[in-house]
Amino acid sequence: MCGAKAPVFLAKGTYLVALLKLESLHVALEDGTEIVKGVDLEVGLDEVHAIMGPNGSGKSTLSYAIMGHPAYAITEGRIVFDGEDVTEMGADERAQRGLFLAFQYPHAIPGVTVTNFLRSAINAVRKARSGKDDPMPIPEFRKELLGQMDRLKVSRELASRYLNDGFSGGEKKRVEILQMAMLKPRIAVLDETDSGLDIDALRVVASGVNELVGPEMGALVITHYQRILDYITPDHVHVFVGGRIVESGGPELAKKLEAGGYAPYEEVLA
Amino acid sequence: MSRPEALAAYEALPLPDTSEEHWRFTDLAGFDPDTRTYPGGQTPAMSEGAMVDLDVAGFATVTAEGITIERAPEGITFAPLPEDHERLYSLVGWDEKFAAHNAAMWTNGLLVVVPKGVVLEKPLYVRISATGRTFWRLVVVAEEGARASLVEEYASPAPDTAGYSNAVTELFVEPNAKLEYVSLQNLSTETWHFASHHARVERDAELDWVAGGFGSKRGKTRIQNDLNGRGATSRVTGAYFADGEQHLDYDTFQEHIAPDCTSDFAFKGALRDHATAVWRGMIRVEKDAQKTNAYQECRNLMLSPTTHAVPIPGLEILANDVRCTHGATVGRVDREQLFYLMARGLPRYEAERLIVRGFFQEVLDRIELEPVRDAVTAALEARIPQA
Repeated sequence: MCGAKAPVFLAKGTYLVALLKLESLHVALEDGTEIVKGVDLEVGLDEVHAIMGPNGSGKSTLSYAIMGHPAYAITEGRIVFDGEDVTEMGADERAQRGLFLAFQYPHAIPGVTVTNFLRSAINAVRKARSGKDDPMPIPEFRKELLGQMDRLKVSRELASRYLNDGFSGGEKKRVEILQMAMLKPRIAVLDETDSGLDIDALRVVASGVNELVGPEMGALVITHYQRILDYITPDHVHVFVGGRIVESGGPELAKKLEAGGYAPYEEVLA
Repeated sequence: MSRPEALAAYEALPLPDTSEEHWRFTDLAGFDPDTRTYPGGQTPAMSEGAMVDLDVAGFATVTAEGITIERAPEGITFAPLPEDHERLYSLVGWDEKFAAHNAAMWTNGLLVVVPKGVVLEKPLYVRISATGRTFWRLVVVAEEGARASLVEEYASPAPDTAGYSNAVTELFVEPNAKLEYVSLQNLSTETWHFASHHARVERDAELDWVAGGFGSKRGKTRIQNDLNGRGATSRVTGAYFADGEQHLDYDTFQEHIAPDCTSDFAFKGALRDHATAVWRGMIRVEKDAQKTNAYQECRNLMLSPTTHAVPIPGLEILANDVRCTHGATVGRVDREQLFYLMARGLPRYEAERLIVRGFFQEVLDRIELEPVRDAVTAALEARIPQA
């Protein structure tokens, strides 16, 4: 289903299979309504997968479920990350293992600065991984943060502002990517990251993603429009309609969708 | 006034019950102010272990046995309160049950007078150890142009000390003076606490008040500021945290008497377990108090579904050219915020901690004395449970 890409061999000699695996995943809302109706997907390092679907197809539900949102129940199937079943894990444990979700609508946390939040998050991940308190030294953190902010053209002034509190849409999306760059996940799920971005911001955000995709990270880009895929070239494109992947292919599939839309798929399902 | 008069007033007044509007949410069932059966015992002096780490100009400790002035700065009065001091009872008399009880019974009081034009660089500190029945009284006079800071801390010798604490504070901020008053209540959760703090702020004077409520079982804290001279300013910043079966009750009153005055009261509180809190705020603007600028807010964060908070703002405006605003909210830790932070690797308790810390940040930012800000922050953080 994921195309013919050969297995990747890391320089370290680690044999790599798909890092994130969704196996026959079914997801329901709290009222029992099933939204995701059986998804199989494998995403590896150094790969970009795109999931493209119309509004209401269940894309955001899928991304929340991958990250472990408590409002979305996995009713069938499982999520495997790096060989480990993470289906029952909380979002924190998934993040500590290297899973990341860039939110479509990032939440504001008044009273908590971007800097304070990022340092807390990085240190929580380090602690979980090493099994003891192992905070990143402040000078190292600061250097890394300022470097990433400059690279992503995030105004340094945002570092001391409260997280997403009063941020513009573009600032929020850049700060999502900044968080990704700081946390260095192994698989990043980007939920409608292009929405609300102008072209310049989209370029910056996309190049931020492109710089991270490689032997250390793979990405799952969830989008309605093909636009973001002009900047982040997918290796695999999956058409997602009615809670299912209805077709998979290479980058050319995105172009086909751009021309023909989702209607033909929806008609088949109807 | 005489002690017998105050005692007679106290005895004539009934113990308030929930049929009275101001006591509607604070049930005193099971409390008997006349009981003398609280364990007495030895009271440690507690000059060690003060809540705020400060380099102080004056330090006093108060116990059931007496008041000890451990250090007093030169040039000001920092001494036991004489029974016949002229300012006594001028702000808090004996027309209310607990005020009357205090007037009748207080023994160990403190008098602070900062003379005209004297600027005290370092703060004054008084630590009250409540055991048995403690009737504490404080009179502060910041004379014209004087500047001073006073920290008042209520503590219990042990976390399970049972007791009845009754406190009265009368603060006089004379023209052009500035007084910082910090009142931190950190009593045991088995101590009933009733307090009446009343300040009068005169022309162009400034009162900056921090009220921290962390301990006590149940009771009521009354805070009244009279803006009595043109151009007076008062700012009250409150932070409270209650858990277990605690019940906190704040009754605040911003009394605008003179024109061109500003009052700004901001309270934030968090509640866990079965804790409850009531906050009743009243802004009253008298008819001559034109150009009043008054603000009051009380925001609550419920950390358990079994908590209950009742913020009741109130306005009574007799002047016609004023600006009065208020805000009152009760909220929970938002599930989406929690998920967002957890999705970055923060364990649930740490995510909750950050959100609670963030919630209080706004009021913490208002606290000017850094050691006080640190102490209040630490007291709040200590209450947020660890993993």
